[in-house]
Amino acid sequence: MRLERYQLKSEESLHTFEFISEGRNGKVHKIVQFTETNVKSVFNLGFGDKNIETGLVDDSVITNNEDSQKVLVTVASAVFAFTSKYPDCFVFAAGLTKSRTRLYRMGISNNFDDISESFVVYGLLNEEWVIFNKNIEYEAFLVKRKF
Amino acid sequence: MRVKDLNELKKPIVKIDNSLKKLNEKVLFNTKLKKANKILSRVGLPK
Repeated sequence: MRLERYQLKSEESLHTFEFISEGRNGKVHKIVQFTETNVKSVFNLGFGDKNIETGLVDDSVITNNEDSQKVLVTVASAVFAFTSKYPDCFVFAAGLTKSRTRLYRMGISNNFDDISESFVVYGLLNEEWVIFNKNIEYEAFLVKRKF
Repeated sequence: MRVKDLNELKKPIVKIDNSLKKLNEKVLFNTKLKKANKILSRVGLPK
């Protein structure tokens, strides 16, 4: 099975990616950015829509373009590309709201067998990072490439 | 995501477009970054 994904563009350092979602609401430009946190080698995963008129990026908008699985696979591809270049880094991900974080958890859970082939996935539970387990609610996630 | 599938795709995963370099100068997801820093300062990294 080949999962559909959008073509990603990035600059050479692979910190900022762009792709175009195409669905019932037309073409939506998406940006994925990996930004180093205050902890060395830990990068925050940011993801949102780019308004092509203003150039502003919004990570709170619900696009509803009926292509969420394809978008998820594309974002996962960006994580895969980033961690191929920076294999020692952690990638941190959390939604701005509980419901957004729940969506991340569902995305990881639904594809966990494949993700866990290449990544160690941690979830933040009761102020502690634990190995990810499907169907448990977490506050945030950390992923790191397996060697 | 199937990593094997990603690796087998003929189309490259990423096309290089250095016009995106200008976006690296800005933190585009500042609220999320602040949240990440807050959590990381509280709990650190996995032991």
